[in-house]
Amino acid sequence: MSRAPSKMRHFATRLLAYETKENPSSKADPAAVFDAIEKLRPQLTTLMGNAGFRALLSRALSLAQAEVRWLRSVQVKADGSWEGLDALPQVSPEEMAEGRLALLTQLLGLLAAFIGENLTLQLVGEIWPKLPPDNLNFDAGE
Amino acid sequence: MKNQKVATKGKLLLPAASRPAKVTIRQIPSGVRGLDEILGGGIPEYSFNVIAGTPGCGKTTLAHQIVFANATAKNPALYFTVLGEPAMKMLRYQQQYAFFEESKLGKAVRFINLADVVLEQNLDMVLEEIIKQVKAANPGIVVVDSFRTVVRKVVATASELEMQSFIQRLAQFLTSWQATTFLVGEYAQEEMRDNPLFTVADGLFWLWQVQERNSVVRKLQIIKLRGQASVPGMHTFRITAAGLQAFSRTLGLSGSKTKPARRHRLSIGVPELDAMLGGGLLEGDSLLVAGPSGTGKSALATQFIAEGLRRGEPGIMAIFEERPEGYTQRAGMFGLKLKAGQEKGLLETLYLRPLDLSVDETMQEILDAIKRVGAKRLVIDSLVGFEMALAPGFRADFRESLYRMIGALTGAGITILSTVEVEDTFDAMPLSHYTISFLTDDIIRMRYVEIDGQLRKVMVVVKMRGGNHSKDIREYVITDKGVVIIHPRRTDYTRLTSGLPDRVGQQEEAAPEPKATR
Repeated sequence: MSRAPSKMRHFATRLLAYETKENPSSKADPAAVFDAIEKLRPQLTTLMGNAGFRALLSRALSLAQAEVRWLRSVQVKADGSWEGLDALPQVSPEEMAEGRLALLTQLLGLLAAFIGENLTLQLVGEIWPKLPPDNLNFDAGE
Repeated sequence: MKNQKVATKGKLLLPAASRPAKVTIRQIPSGVRGLDEILGGGIPEYSFNVIAGTPGCGKTTLAHQIVFANATAKNPALYFTVLGEPAMKMLRYQQQYAFFEESKLGKAVRFINLADVVLEQNLDMVLEEIIKQVKAANPGIVVVDSFRTVVRKVVATASELEMQSFIQRLAQFLTSWQATTFLVGEYAQEEMRDNPLFTVADGLFWLWQVQERNSVVRKLQIIKLRGQASVPGMHTFRITAAGLQAFSRTLGLSGSKTKPARRHRLSIGVPELDAMLGGGLLEGDSLLVAGPSGTGKSALATQFIAEGLRRGEPGIMAIFEERPEGYTQRAGMFGLKLKAGQEKGLLETLYLRPLDLSVDETMQEILDAIKRVGAKRLVIDSLVGFEMALAPGFRADFRESLYRMIGALTGAGITILSTVEVEDTFDAMPLSHYTISFLTDDIIRMRYVEIDGQLRKVMVVVKMRGGNHSKDIREYVITDKGVVIIHPRRTDYTRLTSGLPDRVGQQEEAAPEPKATR
């Protein structure tokens, strides 16, 4: 069940494309599959604490698992770190990219639902300050 | 004096001019309308304050309002959240308020969650984390919300001395680091005793949410504020989409100008009544028009305002019983063009009938309108309706607040006409059941009298503080020109004030308004 609207998916797609361009290794490396999420982690942990971030990430993962099967082998541990990333099932690069996109979409969707689109975009803008302003918009490219 | 030094009880004092200047305590704005007035100008910079109260009374909103009013990218605010409201929810709800500027988040206003440190570490680590963040950000404002949860942890795991030491070190560090600090916490007043936090704090802002009958009343008190004189007592406040708004007991009028020494006479709009008043109302007087329903109190009030407009004196009509349209329409029937005054911005009609309003809040509405139009004349129609519009819990404060407002406004030269409905009895002539005549300079009493099989109307100037006035009881009618005092009657009566007069002497005289003939 995906609660994130399609515009959130478009936005996450653009964000991941930018992130891959900035850091090409993340696309190929399964361990770096959640790089974008890891970039969000310090900011969100400062804002809501470990427990708060863990709860939000778990919810996003749970929603994304309904869309992308291989994500079911990944869990969020009590300390907020990943479990199962080192033993991912054999999945195609496309499926890997789909999981990566689904999780980011859900996490951004949850943030937007709780604190609003403006604050979410502001947060993203702080983490990716060089992200072109045209991309920092949920409605662009829909 | 040749000797520049003055000896006092063995101590040498320098003359005032050469003494070093006292430290100037700068004040920062609270961002809450009315609160700076209560605080005595603003929040003392670098002060260490506690915002206390029961759940839901507006502590966090107050802290946010202060933060957003002061934080800049250069002088940011650090908002430490502990185990109270999660930051996500805080942001979710607080952004609904008008003061919440999203663009300030991140650079000017930074939220830092301390829950993990509080839960997993000891007090030293909590302090260390705060110190680390403060040193890195160099903030002008620091908030810890809820500080109570930090203290709970201390109580559970450490000694009272450790807690005292922690508070002391925290206060010392934040003050030295030139931050104005607010510790937000849920406290009951009984806890004030023996709690070192309240001893260390420079400022203590206490918020209440009190239920009185079916109404909820919000009140705040500045229990303590070092270095400056705050307005003592309980002040009401309201939380709206704009955030908190406080209503000082002084209504922000403490610095108003005083009544001019030479005061003009103002026409009330009824020439015969002006004559009865010795030439008109004295500027800056408070006139009470008392009478039963239907005697023309509102008509007279409208004439007073319309006469002011005619002379270029802006006015405010605060009405509580009748809708503004009805008021304007009736004035039109008297040939009084209130609408033109409204369109020119010389007249505002306030229709104040909201539920649960506090006296001070209602008065603030009136004061704002007075400032907007530069009013010289004010009508309050009526005091009974005013009281009824208030939350039951505020009615007890009605007379006190009215006294303060009328005193301050008339002191500033505004002339006030208030109406009050009194029940006519046929054995006495009460002035007002409010016992508020002490706050009026002048009183006009209207009443019904039975004469020759008609229920007629009479009025009398009962009191006029500023000078002599007519003692005559004059008959009047309400026509298409409003209240019109008719020529003095040739027939004399006694006991007119009883409403059932006795005719003295026999004069054949036509009734002021024709009697039915069939």
